[in-house]
Amino acid sequence: MAAFTEQETSEVAKTAEILNTTKTLALINSKAPFANTHGKDSLDVALIFASFEQVVSLFFQGDGVYQLIDQQDGSLISVKDYLKTFSAFEFYDIEDIYVCQQSLVERKLSNSFHIENVQVLTAKDFALQLSQHKHVLRF
Amino acid sequence: MTTLHLVRQSAFNSNDLAQCLMIATTADTLVLIDDACYNVNHPLITQTLIEQPELAVKVIQSHAQARAMTTPNAITAITIQDLVSLTFTHEKVITWQ
Repeated sequence: MAAFTEQETSEVAKTAEILNTTKTLALINSKAPFANTHGKDSLDVALIFASFEQVVSLFFQGDGVYQLIDQQDGSLISVKDYLKTFSAFEFYDIEDIYVCQQSLVERKLSNSFHIENVQVLTAKDFALQLSQHKHVLRF
Repeated sequence: MTTLHLVRQSAFNSNDLAQCLMIATTADTLVLIDDACYNVNHPLITQTLIEQPELAVKVIQSHAQARAMTTPNAITAITIQDLVSLTFTHEKVITWQ
């Protein structure tokens, strides 16, 4: 087998680098937290994948942004408040959390969230981040 | 004929609120319950409060508070007991879900 030229080697290395940096799983959250179980299901999937050391990124879009706002209290309407578990993301090494800025603006919401390390992105950057993932699940 | 309108979904996700406002008249009462609490700052509600100030718009206080939604002054916060009373003071009830 012929040896790789220097240029070919560098191209292969670049491709490998891109493959390594391609993030595996993206979860899109698009529903408000309390009226249905979509948000809870998404959280379960995120934590299960993270437990097996899979890279998971979370995207919040549309009514899904309501899952992140501060001062919510599910106990008032007898709903188990799974949102508190969001603070475990850091422990599970879930570091890529993206929020659609347009969705926030449409709903007149501020950027005060109940967890830290949330990145608010414009619709274009939001789409760009999402495109870097191999698999996408929408809840 | 007065009607009590119960809206249950976020207008950012469904057309229920828009359809309700199309047929709601000034003598009616509109109550936002469950995920409809997210509508308190929706442009459709804001516009209705300005254009039809006679239309009573209410929200279940505990449902809004659970979702961390602050109620604008033009919308009255009520309890579930108040909602029961409203069903007696109106001739019809339409649930938008």
